[in-house]
Amino acid sequence: MEKIFLKTDLGKSLENYDFPGLKRTLNMTPQQVISKIKESGLRGRGGAGFPTGIKWETVYNIQDEEKFVICNADEGEPGTFKDRFLMENLSFKVLEGIIISAYATGSKYGYIYIRGEYVKSIKIMRNAIEKLYEKNILGKNILNSDFSFDLKLVRGAGAYVCGDETSLINSIEGERGKSRIKPPLPVFEGLFGKPTVVNNVETLAAAAEIMKYEDNIYSEMGTERSRGTKLISISGDVNKPGVYEVEFGELSVKEIINELAGGVKGSGLGFVIPGGISTEVLTEEEIDVPYTYENLQKIGSNVGSGGMIVVSKDRNYLEIAKNVSDFFRDETCGTCFPCREGNKNINKIVTDIYRRGYPTSKEIEIISDIKGAVSSAARCGFGESSLNLILSLFDKFYNKKVTV
Amino acid sequence: MKVKINNREYEFDKEMSILDAVKSAHIKIPTLCYSEKLEPFGSCRLCSVEVKGERTLKPACVTKITDGMEIFTHSEKVRKTRKTIMELIVASHGITCNLNCLTCSKSNSCEIKEIAGEIGITEIRVPPISNGLAEDKSSYSIVREPQKCIVCNRCVRKCAEVQSVNILTIANRGPNTYVTTFMDKGMGNVDCTNCGQCILECPTGALHEVYHTEQVWNVLSDKDKFVIVQTAPAVRVAIAEEFGAEPGRITTKQMVAGLRLLGFDKVFDTNFSADLTIMEEANEFIERFKDGGKLPLFTSCSPGWIKFIEHNYPEFIDNLSTCKSPQQMFGAIAKTYYANKIGVPREKMVVVSIMPCTAKKFERVRPEMKGDVDYVLTTRELAKMFKLAGIDLLNLPAEDYDIPLGISSGAAAIFGATGGVMEAALRTAYEAITGKELEKLDFESVRGIKGIKEATIAIDGIKVNVAVVNGLGNARKVLEMIKNGEKEYHFVEFMACPGGCIGGGGQPIPTNNEILLKRMEAIYEVDKSLPIRKSHENPAVKALYEEFLGEPLSEKSHELLHTTYVARS
Repeated sequence: MEKIFLKTDLGKSLENYDFPGLKRTLNMTPQQVISKIKESGLRGRGGAGFPTGIKWETVYNIQDEEKFVICNADEGEPGTFKDRFLMENLSFKVLEGIIISAYATGSKYGYIYIRGEYVKSIKIMRNAIEKLYEKNILGKNILNSDFSFDLKLVRGAGAYVCGDETSLINSIEGERGKSRIKPPLPVFEGLFGKPTVVNNVETLAAAAEIMKYEDNIYSEMGTERSRGTKLISISGDVNKPGVYEVEFGELSVKEIINELAGGVKGSGLGFVIPGGISTEVLTEEEIDVPYTYENLQKIGSNVGSGGMIVVSKDRNYLEIAKNVSDFFRDETCGTCFPCREGNKNINKIVTDIYRRGYPTSKEIEIISDIKGAVSSAARCGFGESSLNLILSLFDKFYNKKVTV
Repeated sequence: MKVKINNREYEFDKEMSILDAVKSAHIKIPTLCYSEKLEPFGSCRLCSVEVKGERTLKPACVTKITDGMEIFTHSEKVRKTRKTIMELIVASHGITCNLNCLTCSKSNSCEIKEIAGEIGITEIRVPPISNGLAEDKSSYSIVREPQKCIVCNRCVRKCAEVQSVNILTIANRGPNTYVTTFMDKGMGNVDCTNCGQCILECPTGALHEVYHTEQVWNVLSDKDKFVIVQTAPAVRVAIAEEFGAEPGRITTKQMVAGLRLLGFDKVFDTNFSADLTIMEEANEFIERFKDGGKLPLFTSCSPGWIKFIEHNYPEFIDNLSTCKSPQQMFGAIAKTYYANKIGVPREKMVVVSIMPCTAKKFERVRPEMKGDVDYVLTTRELAKMFKLAGIDLLNLPAEDYDIPLGISSGAAAIFGATGGVMEAALRTAYEAITGKELEKLDFESVRGIKGIKEATIAIDGIKVNVAVVNGLGNARKVLEMIKNGEKEYHFVEFMACPGGCIGGGGQPIPTNNEILLKRMEAIYEVDKSLPIRKSHENPAVKALYEEFLGEPLSEKSHELLHTTYVARS
């Protein structure tokens, strides 16, 4: 069963939404808002899972006239389309979350950075921003409070790596889309060198919904380490692909596939990519696992972005490996050696394997060594996770089959 | 701060990077994208170390030490990771049979080779992947071979951070990431100053000078040609490094002997024309100072600096001294005065320069210079010619330069270091203005490696404000300050390269701060060892004026020794 929390208000239009979360927020102090978000247990939904309240609190505590909030809507992880769903269907709730985050952190300016290919989302969000300015929900003295906030929409130019927060900040500044060296973290020195909070679309929408209620009902959902609900975008070989909302710990990956997504198409399940192509694949034996951060980590994978791709036995796994590798080869920013050269070389090897139809043990060894170097020494999260899927696929399906 | 490095405790009293901390413990961590002159960049990841409690390895160049940190610089995980990264780097370097280490410009100074050895690479399991990019031969000074480029960004950063010239950039992404110039126009078609600092910075052979060695071999074996050579001040204190000597070794006389062995008909000295430059430039300064001419006067010996100002600050062109550089003054005098004197027709005479500089190769072809200099070899190229001819430079017998264009003063010798031109000019200007003998010849305030130096010199009760600037990034700073009225100078020496000519783009590699200081010491030693230390006391220069030019700034001088500039913006 889906758990409807974020999806509440689906079908409403901006005209008949009255921003209850924002209204409650404006009657509270920023500290109270931060406490509530911290208590809710909300974690960043972009993939990294960092506690949102702590991020906000850090920026709130820094004294600076200029601070920024950024909504990261550069949803580029293949198989992930839950942010697009939110922007197209609940634009007002996303914007509400951005304004709340600005209020809580003491930021007067914000950006929403939307993936360039999301033409419809951009159009909808642009319209919504205009309307909110007309309704005095953006701009000076929002809803007649002391709080003023301006929001600008930036359209991404098509680089996957700009979903990494420091690369995204570079991109907004007009610089080359490549990661920055951390520290300093963006919360200390981000956009234009100022304290900056970068939050994912889903995170902000969840924050808006959390703020709607007097009680903290979010904190009562899910497990201790995985609070609340999560939007999962399911695609691939399932009968009912789409965006589903799941309460953490209530369903297993298997149940999500069979009960929500209508089961596997074709002659049976091959494997599942649980959270976008930066996460390790799960075999049929592994999918009976409760859907939480901790349970997926325990079996060596991750919730990731929530982009679940189901692959049936009928597919050519090596073709999938090659596709994934093509993607990472082309999308690395090209700055750090292990990521740029590692993905380039692995792509060559994976292409050879695909053409031949099977890997050799030497190839697996090289892939594994390169993966080790990239994961432990790459400059940003992109590189670190870029080879998770490929190595796990070879590991789980080809280790015994390889020819010597 | 207490830090454990490889299980041993160390104490540090200030914040620093892991790399610096480890260095002070006498442990070497391999680095490739790191350079002491540049902001740490963290792209090669070779310096990654294990830090207790951290999930991933940490790049030592950009990670600061913290109290209680436990660092493992060469653990098994670190060694394995470094080896794999190095394999990938070597593969990306695209070595093929036609492009191998034997023919490479950096065959003796390749950082990849050095690091691969240190890391202990025993096999490269991935084949080279060529980037398919073509050579950039558009420049008169510098060649780019992108096939050898590993995209470490050091040239890009050097050009931007140190020189503020910004002509190199990174284009594309992913596997197609490459270093290029604006719109792929090529280094000869953008605002490149030809300073060659990028060559010094490049860890591979992706950047090198435009070679003139073949042409020089050809003229040397041409019986119809009368080939003379001039050697710049900074070459004699650096070339020995190419033969394994400690930096700072002076091999002037051995170099002269070596040049004779190569077959040059006469071996002359750019120091002679440096003295001549001082005669003209000091008098130009005095004239401008007395007659209310355009001040501050800017020196004009450094062709990289000249091109920089032509591109970026054309409004200051009138501040430039109209004096040609010593290289070009030499060419002009050699092909007129000297050619006449020995009865060799101009067409038969070939003038070769040995320069620490790549920009001199461009200066040579400026139309204003009328082809007075035929070929320019860098210090590195001359070393290669010596080696090719089997010349054991360090052990050659000492020989003197030929006369008359080989006679020079200590004032000329110091042209090779930042501050030298200023000091030489002051020695002459002081005596010309006051008519008195200068008691203390050393102007310490303009010496040293600092990027911007200032001094006020009292000459006959008149205070002269001077500044000495090296490195184009510093030049930009000073020009901006002059523009804003923050600074008022009378005379400013500018050199394109950090440290002056001793740090030129044609000098032995490596050229780092430690080496620069040793070359600089040697330069001042040369000055001290010479019997004549003031340009106006050079007898050959005096004779040149008496026999040919008349006096400084004469009509003849203007025709042969002065030039004009063009706005290139």
